[in-house]
Amino acid sequence: MFDSLDIGASALAAQRARMDTIAGNVANINTTRNERGELAPYRRRFVVFAPGQAGAEGRPGVHLKSIELDHSPFRKVHDPGNRDAGPDGYVQYPNIDLAIEQVNMMEASRAYEANVTMMETTKAMISATLRLIA
Amino acid sequence: MFIDRLLNSGNAPVIEASARFAAARHRLLAENIANVDTPGYVQKDLSPAKFQSMLSERLEERENSGPGSVGFDDLNAKIENPTAGILFHDRNNRSMEQLMTDGVKNALYHNMMMELLKKQYSSIELALKERPG
Repeated sequence: MFDSLDIGASALAAQRARMDTIAGNVANINTTRNERGELAPYRRRFVVFAPGQAGAEGRPGVHLKSIELDHSPFRKVHDPGNRDAGPDGYVQYPNIDLAIEQVNMMEASRAYEANVTMMETTKAMISATLRLIA
Repeated sequence: MFIDRLLNSGNAPVIEASARFAAARHRLLAENIANVDTPGYVQKDLSPAKFQSMLSERLEERENSGPGSVGFDDLNAKIENPTAGILFHDRNNRSMEQLMTDGVKNALYHNMMMELLKKQYSSIELALKERPG
């Protein structure tokens, strides 16, 4: 029954990584340049999960398969005075929608809670079994 | 062996098989909840109704044969992939409410089996104890 706990732990790690990705998106909602200072708006990132534990796909659980880039078009804002504006006077901002990020964040936190509850249940079952000995 | 016969008579092996079933089902439910956001994941489950009918068949078999000849150790429920009422395009039939309810019901069932097993063992212990005074 102990591997039920490992399944829960793998899900907690995966949901935590998803939350980190969402936090990165929200933090970079107005980032118009990359880490080298070149003009390149931040692209929204999202996670893809796959069954099986990280590093041991044969074992039951879940793991983060990849972090993908969202290739939808950037948000364009007309602001000719801005240093980052193009020749047409538009500034390209990241393709991040706060509402979408908010919904994903709630989903991740609910899934995290559900897995914690399942681990609590597993713990209760294991201790009930152990009480047979006492 | 005397102790073997003592432990394998009555309800104890039936309860043990039920507890094993509950533990196996709990593992699958935990896996389903872990994979609630995995695209294309097909849910797995064990059917308690089917397991209980297997159990009652085996019990009837035991009634009609000699003591100790019918065991419950090989009683294995088959893993199913419930596909009823899929609402998602990726064929992952996720329903957090259903999964959590099943998880809680299954845990209560497991706890009940543990309590019953404890009662069984304590009555054997009582029988084995020297008479007081």
